[in-house]
Amino acid sequence: MTDVTMIVNGQVRGASVPPETTLLQLLRENFNLTGAKLGCDVGDCGACTVIVDGHAVNSCLMLAGQADGRQILTIEGLASRDRLHPIQKAFENNGALQCGFCGPGVLLSAKALLDENLNPSTQEIRDALSGNLCRCTGYTKMIEAVQDAGRLLREESRTQITHARTEVTAP
Amino acid sequence: MKAFGYVLAEDLEHAIALLGEHGARAKILAGGTDLLVELKHAVHNPEIIVDVSRLRELKDIAIVDDGLHIGALVTHAEIMNSPIIRTMFPALVEAAHSIGAVQTRNLGTLGGNLVTCVPSMDSGPALIALDASVTVANAEGQRRMPLADLFVGPRKTSLKPADLLIDIVIPKENLGKPAAFEKFGLRKGQALALVNVGASFWIDREKSVFVAPRIALGAVAPTVIRAPKAEAFLDGCKISAEAMAEAGRISAMEAKPISDFRASADYRRDLVAVLVKRALTNAQALATVKEKELVA
Repeated sequence: MTDVTMIVNGQVRGASVPPETTLLQLLRENFNLTGAKLGCDVGDCGACTVIVDGHAVNSCLMLAGQADGRQILTIEGLASRDRLHPIQKAFENNGALQCGFCGPGVLLSAKALLDENLNPSTQEIRDALSGNLCRCTGYTKMIEAVQDAGRLLREESRTQITHARTEVTAP
Repeated sequence: MKAFGYVLAEDLEHAIALLGEHGARAKILAGGTDLLVELKHAVHNPEIIVDVSRLRELKDIAIVDDGLHIGALVTHAEIMNSPIIRTMFPALVEAAHSIGAVQTRNLGTLGGNLVTCVPSMDSGPALIALDASVTVANAEGQRRMPLADLFVGPRKTSLKPADLLIDIVIPKENLGKPAAFEKFGLRKGQALALVNVGASFWIDREKSVFVAPRIALGAVAPTVIRAPKAEAFLDGCKISAEAMAEAGRISAMEAKPISDFRASADYRRDLVAVLVKRALTNAQALATVKEKELVA
């Protein structure tokens, strides 16, 4: 058995699993986080995408042991209790998902992109989503949603900076 | 997946000891993007997986005395983001970018792509065109060999069971050599190459001729191959679009493609001619840009 401890969505989680367990299996079966989906199981479809130490990866292609000691973000960690994440809001507003099976992966790929670049070009968005297959909507609305999300997040960071400045200059 | 044993290598010394101990019973886990797919479909799994993915020693990109060293565990995404490689070898950035998608590029490693050794590997051609060599280690010590000697056939390398690939080295004399990578697949995203090509050459500015031209072809033979006749034709030849096109035609005759469900051999040969010409053209364009930068 392999003992693993990691931070999942801000919480320390641990388990003891057979070495052949993938990170995806660990998340779904041990931690009950079923947002990441099992699609192709060979790294083509992106339905299992999660963010590990800031990078989008296929959790079906990682052993649980390889995630030991790392920070994992799954779709369950994106929204807070009182509101959706701006990326989720933008996908909702644009009607960018239909059946939603690819959604958790697409949203996390978008998150990893926007964490590095709040104003990506259409081509950069296409590149970031090229590892996520969607068979319902086509990708146009998703690309528009990511652009909208970038806009929302840019506004948010501007507001935060303004607040921070006010606090600094306040007597 | 069927059950297997698992051991995490703590450092390079430990990894080499583990591989020496387990030999052919072991499989090496680096990025896992090929290995896990293989293990999921395997009838018999290896007894033990030696996880080398945390070896800090194999994750550096640095220029040292004898050239540019790229650690075997450097991921494709790290190659794309490396300031040294972006400045010196955009061809390697192009090649890395053409592999899989973001999620696989964040996991998959350069060393893994090379030792998996599929004929259509995208890391091979540009490195072969830059005369890269590789460092291999085992319990007896380290040795250096040309990258071309690593490739034996489809999914077959010259590595012995206890061998570990340490790094890939582009020799000092080729630092900054203009090089280009071209690939044609059925889609832009996540497609295997029907043909991929790496090319490099120096330019003798006074005589305006090709110097030390290299052409490497992928997906058109059991492994990545050079195109020696096309290279000999270009060597010392006046630089022109027509010479580049002719080198493409000669390369097409040197390729030994197969027909499969992705493309016919004839189509692949035509692609070789087109892609070699494009790669040479792009390498020349890069040389011009670099020269302008030097002047400015």
